[in-house]
Amino acid sequence: MSSLPILRRPEGNVPEGASYGGNGDENMIPALLTRREDAIGFFEKNISDALGWARANSIFQYPFVTACCGMEYMSAMSGRYDIARFGAEFPRFTPRQADLLMIVGTINVKQSPVLKRVYEQMCEPKWVMAFGVCASSGGFYDNYATLQGADRVIPVDVYVPGCPPRPEQVLDGLKILQEKIQAQRHAVATMERDANAHTRKKSFLGKLLGK
Amino acid sequence: MSQALVDLVRERFPDAVVSSHSTRGDEVVVLKREHLVSVVGFLRNDPAANMKLLSQIVAIDMLTYRSEMTGGGSIASNEAPAYDLQKKQLVEPRYYVAYNLYSVTSKKRLRLHVQLRSDDLKVPSITSLYRTANWWERYCFDMMGIEFTGHPDLTRILLYPEFVGHPLRKDYPVRKRQPLVPELEFPDLVRGPGPGPGGAGVPMSQTQVGRKNGDPSTYD
Repeated sequence: MSSLPILRRPEGNVPEGASYGGNGDENMIPALLTRREDAIGFFEKNISDALGWARANSIFQYPFVTACCGMEYMSAMSGRYDIARFGAEFPRFTPRQADLLMIVGTINVKQSPVLKRVYEQMCEPKWVMAFGVCASSGGFYDNYATLQGADRVIPVDVYVPGCPPRPEQVLDGLKILQEKIQAQRHAVATMERDANAHTRKKSFLGKLLGK
Repeated sequence: MSQALVDLVRERFPDAVVSSHSTRGDEVVVLKREHLVSVVGFLRNDPAANMKLLSQIVAIDMLTYRSEMTGGGSIASNEAPAYDLQKKQLVEPRYYVAYNLYSVTSKKRLRLHVQLRSDDLKVPSITSLYRTANWWERYCFDMMGIEFTGHPDLTRILLYPEFVGHPLRKDYPVRKRQPLVPELEFPDLVRGPGPGPGGAGVPMSQTQVGRKNGDPSTYD
């Protein structure tokens, strides 16, 4: 295998996965070597699946508990309902170490800058669960003092309804979130060459290796 | 029940008492504003009264007392008051402040009222007599805008300092919101005011239109 033939992509709008040519030779070429996008896509999918699996089953949560929903949160945390079965047993009490912000309870207008700040302190990737109807929509606190849903301030991934929600609902919401995390695609850093690479100033080592 | 206390106040301060009545077993004495501090001090220190506990200070807005709402069109509004002040004869005195006193030894209660006209919302502070009055007076100031003269630190106690107005007044718009952080676009008006359907390009449902226009028949 001194040199492999490079297959050119056909002109025009060709559906993905269609076989080109037809005389048979092209189809013999290994796909990983010939179709670069497919190769990247394959790699990306594997990486995404692995990362999603790792992330979805090790959710470090930060409970932002402000109200009575906290009781149900404690119940969901502890032995009977045992959120640890789903790999989310470890509450961190600093947002800097957490993946999942659980907004448990009513958010006042006065609290909303604090909530926003806590969210901003979390590292990427991060997810948010609105726990209970007050965090989701303000609930029956349709008044001057209450934020009408945490998604007015920060983006929310999962809404768990209920006043307060049963622990089963919380587990259900957590599993929905896990599915979402599992399904997320993580773009691999592109392998395309920079179009301006040849004009960029090179370091000494770059010059040496650029030969 | 504690008619003896009312008689005591009437006897001791004959020119301070405007009137007195009894509602649901509670004796109420309506006082003149300038005599409030001396009467409260007397009730606290007098051995016959001995009212060492100040249960509450509350303020009441009488704007809509014994009258129906004229609003309807403005329930869902962000800015317009729920009650049409132009069409309404203002009740004067519009506000009153109520002091609920309790004697731990004789287990008697007494309520003191001070009536206030809406153009002069000033009451002398009783923080020198009861330390708990400090927070209660800040609370009344926060929610109703009653000004307690002589209070050491008359600032908002529950709401944030950026808040404009006093939300428990009857003419505060029911759905008015004063967010502290700029709110994200949200395609939903059922939840109350905010960046609404116009911003996110989502048309309103008939229920939402009805809510916005304050038509109660569309409420679910």
